Amino acid sequence: MKGILRTALAAAAIAALGVSAQAKETVVWWDFLGGGDGVRMKKMIEDFNKAHEGEIEIQATTLDWGVPFYSKVQTSVAVGEGPDVMTYHASRIPLAVSQNILQEITADDWAALGMGQDSFANAIWDAVTVDGKQYAVPLDTHPIVLYYNKDKLAAAGLIGDDGLPKGLNGIENFSAAMKTIQDGGTKWGLSTFNAAGDFQFRTIYSLLCQQDGQMMTDGQWLAGDNIDKLTNAVKVVADWVNDGYAPAYTEYPAGIALFTSGESAMHINGVWEVPTFTDLAAKGELGFEWGAVELPVFFDHACTYSDSHAFALPANAGKDMSPEKRAAVLEVIKGIVNQGLFWATAGHIPALKSVTDSAEYQAMEPNATYAVLTANMVYDPKSVFAGVASPMYSAAANAFTAAVNGEVDAADAVAEMKEELDGLQ
Amino acid sequence: MLKSRRNEILVAMVLIAPFVAVYGWLFIYPTIQMVRLSFTNAPLIGAGDWIGIDNYVRLFTDRIFKTAVWNTLYFVILTVIPGTAVALVIALMVSRLRGWLQAIVLAAFFLPFILPVTVVYLIWWWVFDPQFGIAQYIIEPIVGQPVSVWRRPDWFLPMAALVTVWWTNGFSILLFLAGLRNISSEIYEAAALDGASRWQRFRRITWPLIWPVTALCLTIQLILQLKIFDQVYLFSLGGRTNTTMVLVQYIYEQAFVHNKGGYGATIAVALFVIVVAVSVLQYQALRARGAR
Repeated sequence: MKGILRTALAAAAIAALGVSAQAKETVVWWDFLGGGDGVRMKKMIEDFNKAHEGEIEIQATTLDWGVPFYSKVQTSVAVGEGPDVMTYHASRIPLAVSQNILQEITADDWAALGMGQDSFANAIWDAVTVDGKQYAVPLDTHPIVLYYNKDKLAAAGLIGDDGLPKGLNGIENFSAAMKTIQDGGTKWGLSTFNAAGDFQFRTIYSLLCQQDGQMMTDGQWLAGDNIDKLTNAVKVVADWVNDGYAPAYTEYPAGIALFTSGESAMHINGVWEVPTFTDLAAKGELGFEWGAVELPVFFDHACTYSDSHAFALPANAGKDMSPEKRAAVLEVIKGIVNQGLFWATAGHIPALKSVTDSAEYQAMEPNATYAVLTANMVYDPKSVFAGVASPMYSAAANAFTAAVNGEVDAADAVAEMKEELDGLQ
Repeated sequence: MLKSRRNEILVAMVLIAPFVAVYGWLFIYPTIQMVRLSFTNAPLIGAGDWIGIDNYVRLFTDRIFKTAVWNTLYFVILTVIPGTAVALVIALMVSRLRGWLQAIVLAAFFLPFILPVTVVYLIWWWVFDPQFGIAQYIIEPIVGQPVSVWRRPDWFLPMAALVTVWWTNGFSILLFLAGLRNISSEIYEAAALDGASRWQRFRRITWPLIWPVTALCLTIQLILQLKIFDQVYLFSLGGRTNTTMVLVQYIYEQAFVHNKGGYGATIAVALFVIVVAVSVLQYQALRARGAR
């Protein structure tokens, strides 16, 4: 009996030695990147693991985007079963912070990452900040953009000498441009995912910002003339359908199909669809020249909705992260965020200025063209009720789906939305 | 004698103990916790403060809750009896076929049942797509324009019911077919000799003898459709959920989207009460029908 015990102890000691000799840290990673960007992220993780063999290993799991992801994170972190690092939308940070499920990214952490406030655009840094503290490391910013069919715009005389669209600024000009395009034999001026009001929120919110309007001021939803500004914004999008420039009730894949098949000359969508068009063009299946630019100025100044993918460290209940583990996690984040140039092929604009300023990125098209919009971005209001897949998006889905397809008056829809938002407690 | 009786009870206790333990742990305990949670303002994670019956007071003034109750009952009306009737008709037709032809036709009707809900959703999403869907070739001539059925509250539930009947009918058809095979052909032969018409044979022989199966189908469908969630949730994503909401979806929405675990539990308790009430009603109705 004693013999067995001794052997077991010896074996345990050897095993322990083996572990400490290797000192390999395993970093458990969760993300929600299931599309074309997910493929790229898997490649980046593989590359990282190869470069750090024997030191750090990322064990990555991809989960379902949206409410399922955030529910799982909330519940698992609460019982200490969360990952070591996870992707997070900047817009969801306020709720996470209110629930104490994220660790602060401290000054020491930023030093270890070799990054700081100056490394990012103001809007991006602000988006990961709550009450002066940062809770995530931004990887990118992913606004919506205007995709265009260059051949059709050129035929309508809408391409300037610099090769970019011209004459699209202003509500009337934009409509006139779509009319010219349609008069030239194209079925639709524009296609966008208007079957879902929550998706349309991104466009409408951009137009609200273009009038200096805000969803939330001092904890009040749509106070003062913000409600009228939001109505104006909804009306612009609704008129595209009412006036016959855009097809009503277009679903996400249908909207893309209308653009790629040449039935619509322009398309509003997130930058994450850039790879779709790049790949089609590379295979020679697109059949026209395409580009993507910042949303036109419909009101007073340029402004575009955006959100950021960022890396957050969950505050796993009852589990303190060892300094070695934390160093490994920061190394992982640093390694991935610094590969922004490769990440940019997914369409997202890398968060690091050093990447977007580089000559390589400036040579990437259409990415470099639309990346100028980072100076004019607006993020979700900082509220526990806002952010992707939040109650605010659900209110937008209910109010705007009917409004942008001409079933409900814009003012009524906005009033309905305000009522629902005011009901949130 | 007494001793052996006591022994029997003891043995019985020991034998059912594992079930009782698991049932208590997995069903009774969570149910009690759910009721307790409904009296708190708990978020999705962690405990909340006891707020008495505030959640229940809110429930009675909640417009969306009322919509959800009505929509759930409407969905039950749209699916349970029509679905069972369609299954009976199909089973009657399939039972007239013989051999491999019957096997193929039966498989065709049963196939949708084995599909996961996400596949069903994607198929019908494209079928009804306003730009590219094939169903629009039927809808457009009748209505005059393509209809986005998943975004129009008046179209939503009837179409979701249609998809559900298409999807789940295979199971009811199988049950009916088994029931029909159990009816001895001698009864039909005797009736035919007596000059009973085809309708009389159905009315006087098939219908009474198939009734237990019909009652079973109705009960299974009722319980299933009161708990409707998947299809309605998927088809309404990004749309006008407040007008197409069903009860389980509202539980999910409150607990997981709005981060209100306590209120979500309150709606769950309400659904529990509704299911119990409807089940009792249906049981009584079916018993009355069976006794006649």
